[in-house]
Amino acid sequence: MLLAGSCTTRRDPAGAIRIRWAHDPETLTPLALHSQAAMDASNLMHMSLLQANSQPLALEPALATQRPTVGWRGDSLTTFRYVIRPAATWDDGRPVLATDVACTLKLISCPGLPNETARNNFGQIKQIEADPTNPRAFTLVCQGQAPELLLITGDFFILSEASLDPEHHLRRYTLPALQRWPATRPPDSALQAVARHYLAADLANHPERSPGCGPYRLARWEKDRYLSFRRKAGWWGQTVPGLPLALKPRAAQLDYLIIPDASAAILALRRGDLDVFPQLPAADFQRLTTKPTAEIRLYTSDSHDVAIAGFNTRHPALADALTRQALSRLFDTAGLLRGTQQGRGQRTASLVAPFDRANYNDSLRPVPYDPPGARALLEKAGWQQRATGWQRPGPRGVHQLRLLVRYRAGDALFATVALQFRAAATALGVGVELRPTESTLLGKALVSGDFDVFMRTLHGNPFAPNLAPLLHSASSSETNATRFSNPACDRLIDAIATTRDSTTRARQLRRLQVLLQRQAPLVPLFFLPNRVAARRDCQGLYVSSLKPGFVAPTIERTAAAATH
Amino acid sequence: MGRLLLRHLGQTLLGTWLLASAVFLLSRAGSEQALLSPDLAAPSASVADMRAARAATRHRLGLDQPLFYIGRTATGGWQWRGRRNQYHHWLRALGRGSLGTSFRTGEPVTQRLARALAFTLPVTATAAVLVALAALTLAVWLAAAPRWQLPVRTALLALQSLPLFIIALALLLLLANPDVLDWFPADSVASTPDAAAAAAFSAASLRHLLPRLVLPVAALVLAALPELTVQLDAALAHELRQPYILTAKAKGLPALAVVRRHALRNALLPTLAQLAELLPAMVAGAVVVEVIFALPGMGCLLAEAAATRDYPVLVGGVLLVGLARLASLLLADLSYSWADPRIRWQA
Repeated sequence: MLLAGSCTTRRDPAGAIRIRWAHDPETLTPLALHSQAAMDASNLMHMSLLQANSQPLALEPALATQRPTVGWRGDSLTTFRYVIRPAATWDDGRPVLATDVACTLKLISCPGLPNETARNNFGQIKQIEADPTNPRAFTLVCQGQAPELLLITGDFFILSEASLDPEHHLRRYTLPALQRWPATRPPDSALQAVARHYLAADLANHPERSPGCGPYRLARWEKDRYLSFRRKAGWWGQTVPGLPLALKPRAAQLDYLIIPDASAAILALRRGDLDVFPQLPAADFQRLTTKPTAEIRLYTSDSHDVAIAGFNTRHPALADALTRQALSRLFDTAGLLRGTQQGRGQRTASLVAPFDRANYNDSLRPVPYDPPGARALLEKAGWQQRATGWQRPGPRGVHQLRLLVRYRAGDALFATVALQFRAAATALGVGVELRPTESTLLGKALVSGDFDVFMRTLHGNPFAPNLAPLLHSASSSETNATRFSNPACDRLIDAIATTRDSTTRARQLRRLQVLLQRQAPLVPLFFLPNRVAARRDCQGLYVSSLKPGFVAPTIERTAAAATH
Repeated sequence: MGRLLLRHLGQTLLGTWLLASAVFLLSRAGSEQALLSPDLAAPSASVADMRAARAATRHRLGLDQPLFYIGRTATGGWQWRGRRNQYHHWLRALGRGSLGTSFRTGEPVTQRLARALAFTLPVTATAAVLVALAALTLAVWLAAAPRWQLPVRTALLALQSLPLFIIALALLLLLANPDVLDWFPADSVASTPDAAAAAAFSAASLRHLLPRLVLPVAALVLAALPELTVQLDAALAHELRQPYILTAKAKGLPALAVVRRHALRNALLPTLAQLAELLPAMVAGAVVVEVIFALPGMGCLLAEAAATRDYPVLVGGVLLVGLARLASLLLADLSYSWADPRIRWQA
């Protein structure tokens, strides 16, 4: 009876908005957010000085009253003066002050805490200078003069000093003193006390133990099952005008359900047990498109995720640009886009997104699928086709053109790309061995250079297109997996990093794109689309290219929409 | 008997310790890349920054200490490393009942395992009981009604040829699909954000959970049923050809009684081993079923721990499953001696 009575229950349609996550965020400590889910959850509870807004796509003031006043000191430092909104308060009613920002930055550099990632991300902030006349005003001093410093200064969650350092131990230390703390030197008693207090709070598993200043609080977290967020009654931002979309909460309750299997999630969506399914797989999107249902609405937008193939430029066979250009012509990007993304997404000539009109070089054309052209380029590069394949004499003997291709095992997109590439290469007489590799081992192989070609997705940043980690010769092999090194490219990348004027910077970026297409260390295949499915009675998703691809707090269920 | 039991228990514990130690040492010996979170490679970080971050992470997790009491030196010789090593700390913690803390979430491993077992055990234990009862009933009925043997065996073999994920997906798409039969929910046991219902064991929480457990249990039962039934059926068929069965029939016993009272006990021996095998499987969970039906159980936990190099969780899970396996062997030995008193343990 119990079973029979419960099988067909549906939730109250006026209740929570239920969103699918494939995985649990695992930890929610603001100092170590390792996944998009963790980031999304923290965005509901905490706030940063600036926040990315999806419509229009821009960095907008969140905790700060306005974008910071930028200044320069000498030729190596940039200053950002912020003022925190007077209305901003913590959950316990205390005002958010500059001392909270200082405490957060010091926690990021405090030894003994799980803050290694944050320390790297925000290490360019070298000093915080308080304003003696205004407890909400402060200046951040940053190393360098790159434009993306704005994002760095505004993009960390501000934590409550009263909660995490109630005895003000950290006020005794300057930020540079903590940043320079030698790894071999054990923390002194005061820093140990801070670390003990922070770790005892176990924010990773109980983020609710420290007050936030964001619009939601974590009401319940059943690990690997669901997270439930409730909108705060009387939240301070409710009456403040000009906040980004994500800070205009309409949903009273947001429930994130962990449903690993996509098929189960689609069925749950169709049954009404789920409201929003973000990052919908291409095949499922296609099925829902061809067999539309009255209760589900589909959304697509651009995304900043780009599928790429990269060459190991340190291998003698791939050291010259002509060979790389030739192999680039063996990717049938148009066919792959049709086959894997049902034609959605966008072919690209560079790593800058084509819809980034200010920076994308639209005079370039995507590399064509052109096996005869590839053959001609190989011959021009000095390769000769023999019975055993393509050969070229080198200083240390004859080189064979045989390629070891690595990509993440289980990745359907790159399995298809790799098969298409192998078919085209084999037809040309180039031997290709495909080696799908487990994620961690793939990372290891890329670092050690044990590959000829790799394939992966790059997650681009819409506010700071920074190609230095990928392509600058000074970058480590962990980010510059191709080991690409070209003095002209390095000069351009350095120039872009220090140019403040956006027009000049865009011109330099366009030149860099031309140079990169000529050098071809990477082949940008296409930008992937963002796909979201939602119940028709859910409105206000604001689907966009900004992660996670929609805005959760603005979703509301409308009875009117359900009847259409 | 008591001494033999103690001896077997001792061997079980020794075997489990050796197994867990091997997993601990083997997994950590290759853990150089364990903590290379991609986030450490921050865009603005220099090579030195990344090295420092990695060193700090390893220090925080105690991975910068020597792995074992002895280790290789740079010149290829062996060196005594003392008690300040990872294995020693792990062993001492194990002695205190602690399996350490998860690298990923910072939670105690015992807590993670207990939470996963709370989902796995009800599903797998229910499935194990149901499959044992179903196999027994079906095999006994088949032995008494031989004309049904061919169609039922054919159906069972056809079912056995289906992989578990096909069975699970088929159940999901047939019985939780608005286009076919919309009988069961397709979301997880997880999705219970009626917080009041989720908070306690209540009729409401049961009403939420029960329909979500039917399909996973059914998938496991259907996957395990053919092997058990076919084996027991074959064993019964063998026993029914023995002379003592002829005697029983000559006494005028009905066919079902002959099977139940005489043939079954002798035919059960291989099935007891199979049933004992279910114990470790019950603890280890079933990854496929857990993923498809969104059950956050042991299978998912261990698969995820292996994929993300969360070694404390992995070693804890192996220890638990290893214990269950060795316990199942002990159980099989005991049940053999119950079923056939002629079987004695070899001292």
